[in-house]
This record gives sequence, structure tokens and C-alpha cells, in this order.
Amino acid sequence: MKIGIPRALLYFYYGPFWESFFKRLGLNVVISDSTNKAIINRGIKVAVPEICVPIKILAGHYLTLAQQNVDYIFVPRMVSIRKRQFFCPKFMGLPDMVKHSLNFKEKILTCDVVSDNSNISNYRNYLPLAEKLGKTKKDIKIAAQEAEKDWLQFRKFTQLGYPAPKAYELMVKGLNPVKINPKPGQIRIGLLGYVYNMYDPYISLGIFDILQENNVHVTTFDMFSENELRNVTGNMSKVLFWTFSNYLLEAGLHLFNSDQVDGIIHLTAFGCGPDSFLGKLFELESEKKGIPFMTVRVDEHTGENHLVTRVEAFTDMLKRSKAV
Amino acid sequence: MKISFPYMGTVLVYKKLLQLLGHEVIIPPRPTKRTIDLGVKYSPEFACFPFKVIMGTYIEACEMGVDTIVSSGGFGPCRAGFYGEIHRRILKSLGYDIDLIILDQPLQDKNFLKKVKFLKGNNSWLDVIKAVKFTYRLIQEIDRFEKEIYRLMPYETEPGQAKKAWNSIQAEFDQAIDQAGLERAKERSLDILKSIKVHEIPEKDKIRIGIVGEIYVVMEPSINMDMEELLCKLGCEVERSQYLSEWVDHNLLPNIFKKSRDAMFIEKGKPYIGRAIGGHAQQSVGAIVDFKDRNFDGIIHLMPFACLPELISQSIIPRISKEHNIPVLTLAIDEQTGQTNALTRIEAFIDLVRNKKASVNIA
Repeated sequence: MKIGIPRALLYFYYGPFWESFFKRLGLNVVISDSTNKAIINRGIKVAVPEICVPIKILAGHYLTLAQQNVDYIFVPRMVSIRKRQFFCPKFMGLPDMVKHSLNFKEKILTCDVVSDNSNISNYRNYLPLAEKLGKTKKDIKIAAQEAEKDWLQFRKFTQLGYPAPKAYELMVKGLNPVKINPKPGQIRIGLLGYVYNMYDPYISLGIFDILQENNVHVTTFDMFSENELRNVTGNMSKVLFWTFSNYLLEAGLHLFNSDQVDGIIHLTAFGCGPDSFLGKLFELESEKKGIPFMTVRVDEHTGENHLVTRVEAFTDMLKRSKAV
Repeated sequence: MKISFPYMGTVLVYKKLLQLLGHEVIIPPRPTKRTIDLGVKYSPEFACFPFKVIMGTYIEACEMGVDTIVSSGGFGPCRAGFYGEIHRRILKSLGYDIDLIILDQPLQDKNFLKKVKFLKGNNSWLDVIKAVKFTYRLIQEIDRFEKEIYRLMPYETEPGQAKKAWNSIQAEFDQAIDQAGLERAKERSLDILKSIKVHEIPEKDKIRIGIVGEIYVVMEPSINMDMEELLCKLGCEVERSQYLSEWVDHNLLPNIFKKSRDAMFIEKGKPYIGRAIGGHAQQSVGAIVDFKDRNFDGIIHLMPFACLPELISQSIIPRISKEHNIPVLTLAIDEQTGQTNALTRIEAFIDLVRNKKASVNIA
């Protein structure tokens, strides 16, 4: 039996878990190709015009998988990974949207994912899949437990400072890498963005490579553990409702207040609702702390030159102010 | 102390409640182009449209010397629950030093009692209960008359009659301060209603349109092109999926004896959106099904540009429209003030609905 997983959205955070989980159930896993022009065009055609780019891309990945002869396509309903917090409504309504607007209703494999922390390996979440996959409760339980180990390993590597795709590679190869620290004199930038924007090279236009070519040390939100960031937002009367936005908010406030970075870039997608508020909070914080801050907003465009220019100008400015 | 609130729908109700509690109330101006311009200027670019309009309203209220603003909150996952936090920060950065009181669900908000006590002022709890009860009745009555008005307006013999009547009815209710006053206002309003002269239209030729969508753009005529009036002028009866009294029924009263209309919408929406995803997405799709069940002829779906929950309903609506055989027009409302485009689409839509009905009648 073949299970399709789109290389989009939370794949860059939970992909290692899901992939390992289905493989350990003895199933074939098909992961869609890295986002390309054909995929995104397929998505744009079926999605409502004003929805955010990551969802359009996701739709493209689903349609691509549907043509790839898979038996099921995994469309989890991400509900909550922190007490009294949720995912963006678009994640919570994703299975409904897919079911009623894309044409592969019978191939959808879905379950609600609820957890009280970022570890979503509790096997109970995946029990609703058992019947369709022809597995027993015990199979599911064992697979989830084993997959959890892989995922924790992957998360450990991201926390050592490796971008998610690299951390995944290290995990698969079973290597034991060392922590990446900034070299003396190196410009340090905090890159705040959701995994699906930062790690999808098509959306981010390869911002990691551009920063690396400019000899920049990059810190992202997933390089922190949940515990490190706890209590960062302690003095806010209300935090955001979306946990990944809160991860960004916490990482951002932490970076603004801990002298770990010289500048901060907020990478956001056109039409992202949660980011419209998150970005404002960063802007106000930047004014307060005097740390340079830049917003990079990406959409389905394909020219990367503007991004190169802006990132170079930003790092040049940081270099100059550091030299003074 | 001068107290104010966001402008949405029949604002005399909020005014009344705060006045009964002994506060000095300033009604913010009805949103105009200036309100929207101010809001857009100081809001994050991709904030949803209601956020921007309310931002502008707050700034205008501050200019009028208001020092306290009361609004409602929430805990997501729709963005509206976080409005207050960002509004407060922006107002502060603009130099307006005001109290923004956000009323959240009592169980999740640590400071709920403190906020209520502040609003309570020197009144006894009994007075507060009386005031709240009175206001609730007031909302119910006003909503009832509003529904009637937009049922009659398309058939008025003399254009503008119904609108004028609606204004007088609101003025009547504005004078009521107790139960007896409410009864008087009700009687007079019934007379006013009767004075509207209407053409007789055979039942089979009546066109009924339901408006569904996000609460602010559905309820506030000044930013939705006066949608109800517009549709009435095109000869359609109109009903909304959202009325203030129903919001109260669903959100503030226990649903033990009577199921609220919202709860019924949610049930009808469930086959399409499996669980609450914030905002009014489930209600919106449920309301479409309900309007169809009640033999409405078409639906206008209003959403703020890039509204998170309504984008999900928008994605699903083509399927509902097909399965239930009811035409739906989705309009995203934003700061664009040019209306010709939307107007053309609405007129075309109504023509379509009319032709559809005519062809059914013939068959």
C-alpha cells in the first residue's frame, strides 16, 4: 500500500515523524517532489485566489500525489499542540477544504492531531487510521513509538543549529554532528519564519543559501527547544492563538532581548493572517530594542534578484554598524 | 469618564446598556471614508478589514475625547480575539492614553471580574441584572423590527419609505428606558410598520436572498455597501445569518431550553466543516443550507479580504452550491471603495437568481 505525503507545509517539521511512522507500519511512502513551477501552477488553479501561498502550494502537492498512483494521501487535521492554543484556521479546516474542493475524496487519509506539546507521537491520534490501513492498535502503537525516536533525533539536530532539511539528512545517515556556533566577527541574523516558508526553497527563493553566501550565521525558531522559550512571553496579557506563531513570537522576543543576533529578518507569505499581527509585534519590539528588523514578504513570484539585493543590503548595513 | 465602543450594527443598544449603568457614553461616528483611511494608515497591511475599520473608529473616538473603550475579545483561532492587544499597542504608539477594556470569556480571563466591576460602577448587582435584561429585550425587539423592514422594503410603493420608518423605529426605541417604555416603543413601531405601503406581489415571484459570512461585514452596513438596502432596491427580500440578539443567545446564554439559531447553523454546517475552526465559518456554511431549506433563492456570502476562517468556507461553497442547488456569490470586502465592480456583479447575480426562479415557475 502506498501513502502519499506532500513535501509542503508541516512536512519540514513533522515529516520525519510521519514518514518513519508509515514506513514502520510496513507501508510504502511516496513524498512529492520539491515544489516546482508545475506543482505551484496546479495549486493556483484550484485554490481560491486570495488564500496564502503555502496553501496554494500544498494544493498543488496534493494534486501531484493524486496523479502518482498512491492509495492514500495523508491530510491530517492539525488542531492543537499546546493547551488552549490552536493552529491557524486554515490548518484546522484543511481536510474539509481538501475533501470539498479537490477531487480525490476517497483517497484522503485523515485524523485529528491533538497534543499538549510539540511532540505529536501519541499513538491515540493515529488510531482512526488503523482500519483503512488494515493494521491493529498494537501496530499503530509500536510504529508511533519508534517514529517518535526518529523525530526526537531530528529535532535534536535542528537544535544544534542545522536547518531542517540538513538535520533530516543527518538523522537518516545516523551521524552525530556538533553544534554550530557563530564564528568570531560573523554577522548573526535571526530568521523568523514558518518551516514551510523557510525550508521550501521555491518559496524562500533559497534565502538560506543567500545568507550563507554572505557569510551570515542564521538562527531560526526551530533551533530552540520548547523549554528554552517557555516564559518568554510571560508579561503579555494575551499571547497569540496559533502555536507556531507563538513559537516565532517567543523566539523573536528571545532574540530581541538576548544579544544573540545583530539583526532579524521576518520571512512571511503574502496573505498570512497570523503574521499580520506577529509582524506588528516584532516591529514595535525592534523600535524598542534598536535591533534592525526587515520583513521579507514572498508570494508565488519567481524572480529572486530582489531578495538577493535586499538581503545583501541588510547584511552590509549590519556589517558596517558592527565595524563602527 | 467618557466611554465608547466599536461601531457595529444597531449601536443604540450598546449605548443604552452603558448609559443604564450610569456611564457617560460617546457614540463613535458611523464609519466613513476617513475612518477607513485612518484605520488603513495605522494598521498592519495584512490585518483583516474589520481590524482596520475598528482601528479607525477608535482613533476617531479618541479625537472626540474618549478615555475608555469597551469591546469583546476571544481566544481564537480567529484573529478577532487578538484585535484588542494590537489596537492597544498601536493607540499607545500614536500617543492616545486610553483604557481599552476587552471582555473575554469569563472562564479564561483572569481579570474578567475586575473588568465587570469597573463597568458595574456604583450600581448594585440587581441594577446591573435589570439593565442587562432590559437591553437584551431591547435587542430582541429591534432585531425583530429590522427583519420586518428588510422584508417589506423591496415592495414599498414610495422609495425611501421603509428606510425612513426604520429610522423612526430606532428613535422610538432610543427613548425607552424601562419595560413600560419598551412596550410603548413597540406599539408605536408596529404602527409605523403598518404605515409602509407595499405593492402586492404574488408569492411565487418573490425573491429571497440570505446574507451569510463574517459577523462584522455582515452586520455593519456602512462598510458592506449597505448590502441589505441595495438588495432590497433590486427587489429582493433580505435576511442575514447574524443578528445581535442571536449572537447573545449563542454566546452569552446557556442553551438549555432552546437551541440558538447559531447552534442549528453549526449542526447544518458540520457535514462540510467537521469542527469549529474559528470565526463563523461553520455558521456560514450551515446558514447557506438553512436558507435553502427555507426556500431562499440565493445567497450573498460576505467576507473580509483574507479572513482566515471564511477562506475555508469560500473553498467549500462551490460544492454546497452544487449539492443544494442554490446560487452563491462570494464578495470579499476590503478598503477598496470603488463599488461599481461589486455592484455589477450583484446585479448580474440577482438577474441570474430571478431567471432561475422564473424558469422553475414555468416548469
